[in-house]
Amino acid sequence: MFAVLYSGNYSTTPEITGGEYGALTMRKPNKQRLLNHYPTWKYVVLVVTVLVMMLSAIPTWYGENAAVQIAAKSTQVPSILVLQQQLENRGIDVKRIDQQENKTVVVLQKESQQTAARTVLAEVINDQANSKSQLTLALEPAAPQWLQSMGFSPIKLGLDLRGGVQFLLDVDIDQVFKAQGEQLSDELRQQIRQEGIRGARVEASGVDGLIVHLPDTEANRAVRKFIRQSYPQWQLTNGSGAGLKLALKDDEKTALRNLTVQQNLQTMRSRIEELGITEALVQRQGENRIRIELPGVQDPAAAKNVIGATASLAFYSVKEPGTGSTMEMKDKDGHPVRVSRKPVLGGDHIVDARASFGEMGMSEVNITLDHAGGKIMSDFSRHNIGKAMATAFSEYSRDSEGNAKQTSSIISVATIQSQLGNRFRITGAGAMQDAQELALLLRAGSLTAPVTIVEERTIGPTLGAENIENGFAALALGLGMTLLFMAAWYRRLGWVANVALVANMVMLFGLMALIPGAVLTLPGIAGLVLTVGMAVDTNVLIFERIKDKLKEGRSFAQAIDRGFSSAFSTIFDANFTTMITAVVLYAIGNGPIQGFALTLGLGLLTSMFTGIFASRAIINLVWGRDASREVRV
Amino acid sequence: MNFTMKNATKWRHFTSAVSILLMVISIFMVATRGLNWGLDFTGGVVSEIQLDSKITSSEIEPLLNSGLNQEVSVVSAGEQGRWVLRYAVPENAEQAPSIKQLLAPLATEISVLNTSIVGPQVGQELAEQGGLALLVAVLCILGYLSYRFEWRLASGSLFALAHDVIFVLGFFAATQMEFNLTVLAAVMAILGYSLNDSIIIADRIRELLIAKPNKPIQDINNEAIAATFSRTLVTSGTTLMTVGALWLLGGGPLEGFAIALFIGIITGTWSSISVGTSLPEFFGLRAEHYMPKPITDEP
Repeated sequence: MFAVLYSGNYSTTPEITGGEYGALTMRKPNKQRLLNHYPTWKYVVLVVTVLVMMLSAIPTWYGENAAVQIAAKSTQVPSILVLQQQLENRGIDVKRIDQQENKTVVVLQKESQQTAARTVLAEVINDQANSKSQLTLALEPAAPQWLQSMGFSPIKLGLDLRGGVQFLLDVDIDQVFKAQGEQLSDELRQQIRQEGIRGARVEASGVDGLIVHLPDTEANRAVRKFIRQSYPQWQLTNGSGAGLKLALKDDEKTALRNLTVQQNLQTMRSRIEELGITEALVQRQGENRIRIELPGVQDPAAAKNVIGATASLAFYSVKEPGTGSTMEMKDKDGHPVRVSRKPVLGGDHIVDARASFGEMGMSEVNITLDHAGGKIMSDFSRHNIGKAMATAFSEYSRDSEGNAKQTSSIISVATIQSQLGNRFRITGAGAMQDAQELALLLRAGSLTAPVTIVEERTIGPTLGAENIENGFAALALGLGMTLLFMAAWYRRLGWVANVALVANMVMLFGLMALIPGAVLTLPGIAGLVLTVGMAVDTNVLIFERIKDKLKEGRSFAQAIDRGFSSAFSTIFDANFTTMITAVVLYAIGNGPIQGFALTLGLGLLTSMFTGIFASRAIINLVWGRDASREVRV
Repeated sequence: MNFTMKNATKWRHFTSAVSILLMVISIFMVATRGLNWGLDFTGGVVSEIQLDSKITSSEIEPLLNSGLNQEVSVVSAGEQGRWVLRYAVPENAEQAPSIKQLLAPLATEISVLNTSIVGPQVGQELAEQGGLALLVAVLCILGYLSYRFEWRLASGSLFALAHDVIFVLGFFAATQMEFNLTVLAAVMAILGYSLNDSIIIADRIRELLIAKPNKPIQDINNEAIAATFSRTLVTSGTTLMTVGALWLLGGGPLEGFAIALFIGIITGTWSSISVGTSLPEFFGLRAEHYMPKPITDEP
């Protein structure tokens, strides 16, 4: 396409000059260089980069199809033909069904039929196989298989483009601090009573502090000693008189906060798994917030009930039927277990629970109780050696009508082998994985911090599709107008800018698809559109400089060389300041705004690459040796 | 009055005066009318619903007002039958009836297109975060400018920057258009863009100051503006075109964003050739500020 453009201006005699003033000053010959020449490897780098980015960008063009995944052995699933027929009978259009050994994926024509398809499939499969299979909603890339096998996948779309529900949860850490303080003050009162100190008083101060009023220095010494030994995580300072002030150490607070939030993250993840959404996002935001994105979910109420459940844990003594006040709870397999109505110990006494391998190489769960819990457990177990103790896990949630309901289940039954202290272990939990699960549940019941939903956003699927359509229509119009304008204004050089601009877009899409965690949002598309307008600036700056140099009477080739080098610092300055705002926006902003910052920032990088490097490479090839002075740009 | 190189200085000073006047009006607007903060910052509930196109807002409003026990704002969302509802988060969110239940008497198919509920605490935090982002960005830019340019020259770019941001804020205060997170992002983008223009002219001024140290600063400024003028017009033109496309086709969610950017780009171009160059002149920018300092022989 350039053959047409350079006709008439191409000089067959290559010009060798010694830099800008080569003709005027007497430079040493070895300082001479070839003007406007890029070595071959630069072209290789350029072509390979653009090609890879193009391959990476293509799957986005194809988009994604709604699908339902069936995680079950292929033998348990009816044949593909049966599935297809059943779905078609119910008016659900199937694009294709892929069956592998452990997974069957049903790809649908329309996203709106995803939930309906899942219901139908659940019926069909459970009828035949007589067992519950895991059905999950998913999105399958629509790109050809060979592209997918090379590891290229489409750009991930944000919720505002895909539709779905987003929650922001607040984890009330203060409650955890408060619980720690209460537990310590109970313990202190008991200790003070044991030591026979009179006239002492313990009171709470603030969220995470205690004030201990003590009569004399002797008492002060005794309490100090106790705290240092049993509660080293508390900071000791002298209060009024012989009294003491206690506060949680900062690193302990950080540790508690991290543990609590992580615990809640885990719990949320496992609860959302139940909802059957593969691409749900559960992540920490800020110090004590959790952001949950559920793409494809249309009804926030159901999701809210699952998320809003609170968990608690308690140890019960296992009773024979008819011995005192008892109740029945079911274990994991549905067998009833009869336990005492009153729990022996609440889960809030559990400080830590970890799974490990025991002496015989069997998995076990090590439990650490707090001081008070240890006392209770020690008293109870002394009288009940040889008897069984059950651990129950309860979840309080709301059903779709908003009624609170409690679901309790026994997660383990163990026999008490000896008197237990504040550290004991549960063995025989099964495989290591089961032990880990049990430890997780034990911890979940202990660190109870209330979780509240502070933000909720629902975007309907039609609106998401509309947003994509609008965004890309704007992008197409903006790009088209810019291409036309550049071609009309700078003519042949304009075409170079246009090639660079298109390459820029391809690279930007490719990069977005390659970077893990990069999400395209509606403001992100706005960032793309803005990038189109600003990316040509790099070329405009260079072309204007080339014009200037031509006016000064240089040859075209010289003007190109000088134009590029003199424009570089300006281009760098201009882009750098925009980069600052993009980085700040990305660091401080949230979801959709981060999407804008990402496309803006990446757009700057790719526009520098294509605007300076790629367009120079083209210009060098076409006009690099053009010595004519009467060129109109 | 025709534009020539001779009276260019007068023109520049005249446009600077206009800029300062606009700035004063904008500050007055922001101070008296305030910004119409969006849901992101205030907290509350925003819901977009689709109803039969025959139903009017006078039918919807009383139903919602009585059902939710508060004033509900019902605004048409451009398309027929589409409404945007805004109200405060009900105190008893669990028991509050849903929009569908409330509008059941209208006997029409109701589809809720999107709903956002933002707690007041989150809104407060976002406003703080946004302010912080703006502050950090300005500080970073200030740091970069003072490193790259002499302070007299940098002051012009910075003043132009403040001018652009204040004008956009003034516009949003005057029209009472919703100021939400995406508009804030646009304001941040304007920060970068406005500087872009100013820096390119400042770069030229510096270059000319070094090349022609004996020329008066007024002429240097005029020359720098003239030399970069076609670039300024082309870049602003292409960016305005694409942002215009966004305004035209981007739909409701991006309207505020596109308008803010559109205005920001126009004022950014305007301010970079008016106050951006006049202020360094006022502060007495001279060529020697960019001359290498002579090394004294004395120890």
